[in-house]
Amino acid sequence: MNKTTAHHISDNYYMEDTDSVIVLKDVCKQRRQHKVGPLNWSLPHGCITALVGENGTGKSTLLHMLLRTLYPDSGEISWFGQSVQGEMPLELRQQIAYVSEKPSREEDRMTARTAGGFRAYWYPDWDEQQFDQLLQAFDVPADVQLSKISKGQRQKFELAAAIAAKPRLLLLDEPSSGLDPFAWKDMIIMLNQAMEQRDLTILITTHRMEEVKRLADYVVLMHQGQICGMQEKDELYQQWKEVWINPVQDIQTLNWLRECPGIIEWDDKPDGSVRILTADAQILQQTAEESGITTQVHGLEWEELLSCWVKDHHLKTDREARL
Amino acid sequence: MRIPVQINENSAEPLYRQVENQLRALIISGQLEEGTLLPSIREFASDLRCSVITVRRVYQDLENEGLLRTRQGTGTFVTGVEQEVRTRMGEENVRQLMNEMISRSYNMGWNRQQLEQLFQEILDTRESDS
Repeated sequence: MNKTTAHHISDNYYMEDTDSVIVLKDVCKQRRQHKVGPLNWSLPHGCITALVGENGTGKSTLLHMLLRTLYPDSGEISWFGQSVQGEMPLELRQQIAYVSEKPSREEDRMTARTAGGFRAYWYPDWDEQQFDQLLQAFDVPADVQLSKISKGQRQKFELAAAIAAKPRLLLLDEPSSGLDPFAWKDMIIMLNQAMEQRDLTILITTHRMEEVKRLADYVVLMHQGQICGMQEKDELYQQWKEVWINPVQDIQTLNWLRECPGIIEWDDKPDGSVRILTADAQILQQTAEESGITTQVHGLEWEELLSCWVKDHHLKTDREARL
Repeated sequence: MRIPVQINENSAEPLYRQVENQLRALIISGQLEEGTLLPSIREFASDLRCSVITVRRVYQDLENEGLLRTRQGTGTFVTGVEQEVRTRMGEENVRQLMNEMISRSYNMGWNRQQLEQLFQEILDTRESDS
C-alpha cells in the first residue's frame, strides 16, 4: 500500500491496523474534455470516506472505474487486494453495491418487493429480513411501482436494497442530490446504522457539508482530474483557520508576522486590519500577542476550507516542480 | 444517552483534545457515574459531527487512564473512580487550566502582581454575587 502518496497532506496520521479496500496506482483515464489522473490513492477499510470536488472534476469517472464499468487507460486498481484483468469477476462484483444520484429505469415498473427479489439473485448474501425491516422503518411502500413513489422513498429503497445486499463496499454517487430534509435525515441514519451492524466501507461523493460532518471519517478532494489528498475529517476542519489582526501602525512588526509559517493568504484591509488564512494559527496568534497585537481566530466555512486545500495543493506541486 | 460535550470550532485546541478533556471532566466530576454505558464510537461521532477516528482515540486514551473500560460485544463503560484519584485528577485538570491562563497572560505582558490582584478581585466579586 502506498501510504505516502495517498496522504501527502498529513503525514502524521495513522490508520490503525486497517488495510485498504481499494488501491489505485498511477491510474489515468482520458475523457472527452480532460484527463483524469494519474491517481494514487487507497480507500481506508471500515470507514466512511467522502469524495468531494467541483462538478466535472473526475469524481464519477473514478467511481465508474471502481465499479469496472469504465476501464483505466493505464495504471492499476486492486479491490480487496485483488487486481482484475478485463471484466470484474462476479464474486468480486457481488461484494460491491452502488447507488447513484438517478435510479436506473430498469426497475421502474417493479415494486420494491419484486425489485428486491431480483437483486437477491445477484447478491448471494441478500438479507430479505433486513430489507423488509428497512423498508418498513423508513416508510417505503413495498407494493407500489417504483416509478410511482416519491423521490425520497425511491432513494431510500435504493439504499435499503444496497445495504441488504450485504456488500463489503458501498459506493454512493451523490445519493442525497435533490432529497428533502426528512429523506436526507433517514439516509444518514440508515448509513450510520449499516456501518454499526457489520464490516462495511463506504465511499460517498457529495456537495453537502452537513453530510460530510454527519457521516465522513476521511475526506478526499479532487480538483481538475487530480486527487489533492486525503485527510481525516477532523484534521481537515482544524487544518486552516482565519486570523484577523487589528490595525497595526508598525510596518516592521507586520512584516515579521508575515514570516510566520503556514500562511497561505494575506489580505490587507482598507482600515489597516489584516485577514490571514493559515495552517498554523497558534504560532501566528502567539507571535502577535508577544508584540502586543490582538488577534481573533475563527474556524473556516466548508467552501473556504476546500479552496485553502486546493491552494495548498498548488503551492506544494509548484514547489516540487521547481526543485 | 446524550453526553454533554460541546465542540468549539473557533478554538485552536485540537478537536480530540476538546472531546477528551470534557469527557474526562465529566467522569472525574462524577457527572457520568460508574457503569454508565457510553454511545458506540460511530454514534458518538455522528452526534459530535466528528470522525470515528477522533472518538476511537479519545476512548483509547481514557481507557489507558483507567477511566473507561470496553467489554467486547457490549460497549464502553465508565469505570469507578476512587475518591482519592478523583481529587488528584481534578487538581491536575485545574492546574493545567491555570497554567494555560498564566502563559497567555504573560504573553500579553501581564506580570505576577497584576495577575494575583485580578485573581483575588474576580474571586471576591463571585463570592459577593452569590
